[in-house]
Amino acid sequence: MNISVIGTGYVGLVSGTCFADRGNRVICVDNNPEKLRKLQNSDVPIYEPGLEILFHRNIQQKRLIFTGSLEYAVLNSDIIFLCLPTPQDEDGSADLSYVMGCAKNIGQVLTKNACTDYKIIVNKSTVPVGTAFKVRDILKAEGVENFDVVSNPEFLREGFAVEDFRKPDRIVIGSESRRAIEMIRELYEPFVNQGNPILEMDTASAEVTKYASNSYLAMRITYMNELANFCERVGANVDMVRHGMGTDSRIGKRFLFAGIGYGGSCFPKDVNALIKTACEHGSPMNILEIVDKVNREQKFVLVKKVMEHFNGDVKGRNFAVWGLAFKPNTDDMREAPSIYIIRELQKAGAVVSAYDPAAMEVACRHFDGAIRYGQTKEEVLKGADALLVLTEWAEFRSPEFNGIKDALKNPVIFDGRNIYSPERLAAMGFTYYSIGRPAVGDDIKK
Amino acid sequence: MNLAVIGTGYVGLVSGTCFAEMGNQVICVDNNQEKLSKLQSAEVTIYEPGLDFIFYRNIAKKRLSFTDDLKYAVNSSEIIFLCLPTPQGEDGSADLKYVFGIAGEIGKILKESGDRDYKVIVNKSTVPVGTAVQVAGILKNFGLKNFDIVSNPEFLREGFAVEDFMKPDRIVIGSDSVAALEKMKLLYEPFVRQGNPILEMDTSSAEVTKYAANSYLAMRITYMNELANFCEKVGANVDMVRKGMGTDSRIGKRFLFAGIGYGGSCFPKDVNALIKTSCDYDSEMKILTVVDKVNHAQKLVLVEKVLSYFNNDIKEKHFAVWGLAFKPNTDDMREAPSVVLIKKLLELGASVSAYDPAAIETAKFYLNNSVTYAENEYDALRNAEALIIVTEWNEFRNPDFSILKSTLKQPVIFDGRNIFTPEKMQELGFTYYSIGRKPANV
Repeated sequence: MNISVIGTGYVGLVSGTCFADRGNRVICVDNNPEKLRKLQNSDVPIYEPGLEILFHRNIQQKRLIFTGSLEYAVLNSDIIFLCLPTPQDEDGSADLSYVMGCAKNIGQVLTKNACTDYKIIVNKSTVPVGTAFKVRDILKAEGVENFDVVSNPEFLREGFAVEDFRKPDRIVIGSESRRAIEMIRELYEPFVNQGNPILEMDTASAEVTKYASNSYLAMRITYMNELANFCERVGANVDMVRHGMGTDSRIGKRFLFAGIGYGGSCFPKDVNALIKTACEHGSPMNILEIVDKVNREQKFVLVKKVMEHFNGDVKGRNFAVWGLAFKPNTDDMREAPSIYIIRELQKAGAVVSAYDPAAMEVACRHFDGAIRYGQTKEEVLKGADALLVLTEWAEFRSPEFNGIKDALKNPVIFDGRNIYSPERLAAMGFTYYSIGRPAVGDDIKK
Repeated sequence: MNLAVIGTGYVGLVSGTCFAEMGNQVICVDNNQEKLSKLQSAEVTIYEPGLDFIFYRNIAKKRLSFTDDLKYAVNSSEIIFLCLPTPQGEDGSADLKYVFGIAGEIGKILKESGDRDYKVIVNKSTVPVGTAVQVAGILKNFGLKNFDIVSNPEFLREGFAVEDFMKPDRIVIGSDSVAALEKMKLLYEPFVRQGNPILEMDTSSAEVTKYAANSYLAMRITYMNELANFCEKVGANVDMVRKGMGTDSRIGKRFLFAGIGYGGSCFPKDVNALIKTSCDYDSEMKILTVVDKVNHAQKLVLVEKVLSYFNNDIKEKHFAVWGLAFKPNTDDMREAPSVVLIKKLLELGASVSAYDPAAIETAKFYLNNSVTYAENEYDALRNAEALIIVTEWNEFRNPDFSILKSTLKQPVIFDGRNIFTPEKMQELGFTYYSIGRKPANV
């Protein structure tokens, strides 16, 4: 099929590349000249495992091209995917100016060229309920008639986006048009030959599904975080409780890891947007309001432990930080707990040296040179008063503990991701704090 | 093995019977004489599918017996299970007087016997974190040493309790003693031959696990309920959204059905107890505080729909109610949405005929003679302005719609469990309201 993808962010680039890889002809459109130049030079502008090889292959096969011309793209494709940013407004709602602007431009292109070929406009961006209707109305207002609008939310996890696109748990297609649903179904069938479902529904339900799924997962994590704080107080071990809960087949074992709060470009934004939309419709999602509040507090629990350990004074102390990205396998720093934690430590007069396998370049924008970066995880340890683990990158999981002990001033680790075993660290002589598990070490007050 | 089970409520009776079924010698103890004489004459005292069959068999094989003689039971057994009620105190916390009372009596008995034989005392009741340590303290006060305490929470669903006991998703064993853990593993291994895990942990974590799992599920339901209310407002369909969510392998498709609030003897009690304990430890589970609040409100959403349909006046109007139990396959009426809903209808001047396949007897305790109890589902419809579906019993799923239509004064259904589709009701000519979906024929 002939497809165009408008917007080459995470979603657009992954979608376009993966569609091309199944033999479709894909035209990607972006109006950022710098980004476009990079893409046209076969330079992948985002960090996403597995993307590069597909990207190069499909560019070579001329199935994947990049242009600044929306007109060219729209006229040469049957299906037009909108993969545009929907940033969070100040009041928490999603800013739809890019989506609406683009819809208007598409309408103008079609009218100007007197193009009456059937077109399907697909919203892949995460947009509030009702957006599909708004897009339809804009196109109609421009005089376009032969088209349908589809809501087809993406469910890509950063770090696994290519895998998720190629082998999705499910595909959600929301539309009021039979013809559009059939065409989109045909496009996706090669991705679900293992039998995962293609779910057809109305556009409103499809739009809600995306927010509902992400917000549910944010709630799941937040529940475990509150439970972890409680476990600490009563001397239970949240990892044990997690095993006990996760083996209930109605709960499931995935996505139950306590930590220092969710972040990233999806969960916080989607939770806030759903809260906002729900309030606007006079049907508040009370649970999500508390989820958001608890999650903000959770980003500071590790700082509290640090302050307590150092008797409330960290002035002039040096801290090594492992991990800056909001989760492993991404360079995404949006709403990352590391930002809140590091700023709080700096406010208290501490000095921070950080290492992250992928996110240091992006991190520079958030910290404006106020922290030192190490080239390796070992480098940042030298002379530090303690190590803080903020992202559970695989390379942090089995470090050389003797080396850590030698490099640190005191053998103290604050682990926001529970990647080590308290028993083992205690046996090696570390003082070790984690989330929802008893702290261990000689200087821990029983 | 020789086992004693103290308390013959849901948990005790199912546990005792299923342990006996695996070839163990089980002595069940209860001090309620009426209940005891029923059990001794081989009468099953609770409604639980599949229980009666193995109950009779194990009594016949003399592996399952009933007594009020605690001393005999304790002295004859290696493992003593406490399956005692832990009712909700007024402040939401669990009332432990039965657990501690029995612990004291066991202490006395063991002291008399000279602390000779090693005993494992197992808490199967749902008890707040720290209870195992407190029970150990009570026994130690008698000078006892030759015992261990285990926390082994039950995860039985009412209506599926026998199935859940015989084929558990997992067994949680909390103890600080290796000897006790080994003994418990031996007892449970025949139940997990398919490889489901036996999880060993400390007693505190085991105690928290039970509350954490139930409260999580209560939250899951409540999230879907709030989402359903939202879906109604924006014209989305919560059943579609549910399918879209449930196919995410991190979410899963089970236990995502929107409705009119959770009830029963576990979820409300456990959620409240965890809120209370967490507050006591200055670490409030704020999410659960909201869950509890939203769930209370959800029990009345169907009444709101009824009121808005009848222009806020249901005085002297008569309604049929299908389903009273808090969920199907049980006669449990504790915290059932039906009670809240029916009381509200009555308060607004309406009258009610109700039918439930199992819970009418238990319902009488909560509703007395304030409603008419019907013989069957169609009988309940006579002279009713509308039908209200409160419990999703299977037998309600495929009724004879022509009888419904001819018996009801108006073809109006308020469905709190989404057991029909709006499309079908539209076709059949019913005015139909459900949860989180567009109404039909309005």
